[in-house]
Order: sequence, then C-alpha cells, then structure tokens
Amino acid sequence: MPIKYGVPSDPDYNERLREFEARIARGEKIEPGDWMPEEYRRQLIRMISQHAHSEVVGMLPEGAWITRAPTLKRKMILVAKVQDEAGHGQYLYHAAETLGISREAMLEALLSGKAKYSSIFNYPTLTWADIGTIGWLVDGAAIKNQTMLAACSYGPYSRAMVRICAEETFHHKQGKEMVLLYAKGTPKQRQMAQDAINRWWWPALMMMGPHDKDSPNTEILVRWGIKTKTNDQVRQEFINEHAPEILEAGLTIPDPELRYDEATGNWLHGPINWDEFWQVVAGNGPMNKERLEARRRAHAEGAWVREALEAYAAKKQKTAVAV
Amino acid sequence: MDTQWPRWEVFKQDTPHKPHQAVGSVHAADPEHALLTARNVFARRPQAVSMWVARAEDVYAWTREEVLEGLATAKADTGLGAACRYLVFRKTTHKRSMTFVDYVGEVEATSPEEALQQAQARFTDTEALAWWVVPADKVYQSDPSQETVESWFAPAREKTYKQQQFYATVGSHISKHKVGRGVEDDECC
Repeated sequence: MPIKYGVPSDPDYNERLREFEARIARGEKIEPGDWMPEEYRRQLIRMISQHAHSEVVGMLPEGAWITRAPTLKRKMILVAKVQDEAGHGQYLYHAAETLGISREAMLEALLSGKAKYSSIFNYPTLTWADIGTIGWLVDGAAIKNQTMLAACSYGPYSRAMVRICAEETFHHKQGKEMVLLYAKGTPKQRQMAQDAINRWWWPALMMMGPHDKDSPNTEILVRWGIKTKTNDQVRQEFINEHAPEILEAGLTIPDPELRYDEATGNWLHGPINWDEFWQVVAGNGPMNKERLEARRRAHAEGAWVREALEAYAAKKQKTAVAV
Repeated sequence: MDTQWPRWEVFKQDTPHKPHQAVGSVHAADPEHALLTARNVFARRPQAVSMWVARAEDVYAWTREEVLEGLATAKADTGLGAACRYLVFRKTTHKRSMTFVDYVGEVEATSPEEALQQAQARFTDTEALAWWVVPADKVYQSDPSQETVESWFAPAREKTYKQQQFYATVGSHISKHKVGRGVEDDECC
C-alpha cells in the first residue's frame, strides 16, 4: 500500500492539512494509503512500536512465574495471559507496519536498546502476589490508556487497541481476583498482597508518563486525535477507580498524601518521584539489563527455529489449499 | 540483509454465516506457516470457523480518498491478461470494530483495477470506505474439514477462564466507586 505523507514545505501542505484535520474532526479514521502529515506518521510509529515492545518485554516478568504458579488453574490463566501479550505485540507491530516501517527495523531497534518500552517492566517480580498485582494495577493502568487509544484517529492502531482492550480486561480481572483472595487470606498472604501493592503502586502511576506540563508531544497528539486524553487525565481515572477498591479490600496505599477530594470527586495523590522514572527510562532501573539480555538471548536462541521453518517452506512449497 | 519473512494478511470467519474479515497480518515463510501463526495470534478466543491468508503483495487496496482521486481507474485499461477470479473485500463503517474489510463476493476481471471497477458497480448497497481485491488463487484457506475445524478452533471455546465474564463478580461493581452515583446503581447491575 502506498504511503502518502506531507511536510510543511510542500506547496499544498496547508490545504491538505486542513482537509486532514477536518476528517479527524468528523470522526473519520485515517487509513493506510490516505494522505497524512509526516509528523503524524512519525508520532504514530514512535508510539505504536513502543507499545509493541512493551507487550513483548512485558512477557518476561510474568513468564518467569509460569513454572511456579500455585495451582494448575493459575498456571493456565498465566500461560493464556503471557500468550495474549505476545499476540498484542503482533497486533501492534502490524499497525505500525501499515505506516511503512518494517518489522525487522522495529525489532532491531528493540534489541539494540535504541527503542524504548514501558518503564514498568524494568521492575522485578519478587513473589506470586506480584503476578496478581501486575494484572490488577499494571494492566489496569494499561487499559485506561488503551481504552483512550481505541478512539485513536488512525484506523489500524484503533482496531488493534479495541482487540487488545477486550483481552486486557481478562488480565485485569484475574489479577484483581487474585489480590482480593490474598487480601482475605492468611496473614502471610495478606502481607504478600500488601507488599506487592506497595512496590507496584508508584510505578503504575508513572506508566501514564510525565505530567502534562512536562509532556512535549501531548498537544499535537491530542490535536490530531492520536490521543484523546492527556497523561494526567488518564492517571486520574486510574486512581479514582483503583484507590477505593484497594482500600475496600483492606489494603493500604503507599502514599501518605492520598486523599479523596469531595469538591472534584477525585482521589488526589502526593508527589511522584520522577527522578526514579527518568532513571529507569534511561536504562538504570533494577531490571533493564536483564530484560534486554533475555530478549537478545531469545532472539539468538530462536534462530534455529526460523531457519528450520524456512528450510521446510522451501522444501514443501504450496501445501495449503487456495480458495 | 533479508531476514524478514513476507507479510500475510489474515481473514477470519467467526461463524459459518458471517463473512471473512481482515483482522491483521502475520509474517510467515509459506501459506501453511501463515495459517498456523494466524490461528495462534487471531483465534485464541471464540469464535472462529475458518481463516484465509494472502501475501500482502497480492492484496490490491484502495482507500476512499484514492478512489476519489481516480487512482483506481488509472490503469484499468491496461489489463490484457486472461480473466481470473478476484475476491472482493470492503469496509463500510468507521464504527469501532476489531476488523477492517469484510468479504463481499467475487468478480471476474483481467486486472485488479478492473476487478475494483466491477466491484464498485456490483456491490452498491452501501458506501465503501475502503476496497481490497485479491486474486482468488493467491488466497489460502484453512482446511475446511470438520475434523480440522474442531481441532483448530473448538478448544478456545472451552477456556472460559480467558473471558472477562468469568470474573464478573470480583469485588464490588465499579459503579459503586464512580462519582455522582448512589447505592441504587449497585442494585441494578
């Protein structure tokens, strides 16, 4: 599919930009093949590939617990969840590819450390309660963001997000169920659940990204309908939903300044440690090196599978039945 | 260095009475590999009864914008080859959906552009937002035998723990925590 995009130096750029923005204002989706500003395409590739990498790297902290799940039921749930994350990566890489970037180039950027992925996956999973908490808080935060992105003006990204949200809701609910069970369990289980909430609460709040005033891309992203809400709006929605639920479960939240504001109906949080966030983004989080090494190793150790599939394809040629 | 397999567009059919719909793409070495990967990526949950795959380079696509610009008709007269069957897919709504174009039928044409013109003339019941045409002999389908359909697609139906509904009663209903809603809401949900 041909990609047509424009830069401000084009003679007809302003006119086409007006048509493009009018389409978005009418609620139309922009599809591959439609004219779009080069900057729209660049921002989308940046966001979608970063999302895809996050799904793929996100398999690592949880995958490590598949062999240690406490029951067969929990193991099956976790296997399904990790498989979903792989699928989400595929949906998203597909959406980015429609903008003319190759899968290979995106993977290269991830493996070389050039590309970013969500900072939250650079934290370790220390106990089984972390697996439930990741489902409840991390996937809960992701859903808030992804529900917003399902309304995105770019068709393929929006469609990927609708599909992902449907599956992510399973992740969120099974995680919440797990933590609530532990919260009602033995003192040791309650302590495990509380420790996990203590460790994941702040990283989950940071997942939505910097405050709006420190987020240079937000304005153009909102203007072009890529995002329909700002980082702070999504973060507020997340807190408003999860804070009362955690407290209702008899657990506490590691923020002494957290309070419900009657006037606005919002739960207000204390200051976020952005130094920590930027340290993790810069590659200095607790697990950054391990995560990338695991990805590189998986890619290298999977080489024989790719070679075998190619050899098989060459040998077999057409076997499936054409319509 | 060419280490990237070709890209295949994937079409999924949810039930025997629904059309095949474009759901996304996979990279694969051959049609069989593409179908297997497509099943793992796009049919982890109900419903599915059939999948088609076609190499992305065999898919001829036009957006509404391109049709309006006349790009589709520009090369229509150059098709000198023998007539062959084309499968026609169309997108008709911007409403939220997990799919792109739906299969609407087939036409006989000597070029993809001619196939599009025929499709535009024939499938007129509603406005098209995008068109795809694919030569029928480039579209590969999953084995339609009952045995294969069962083994490929039925297992997903029994894994109810993958469905959000399975966890419907976890905690109290979200409406309890929403601003401006009272206790009454809890009872209706």
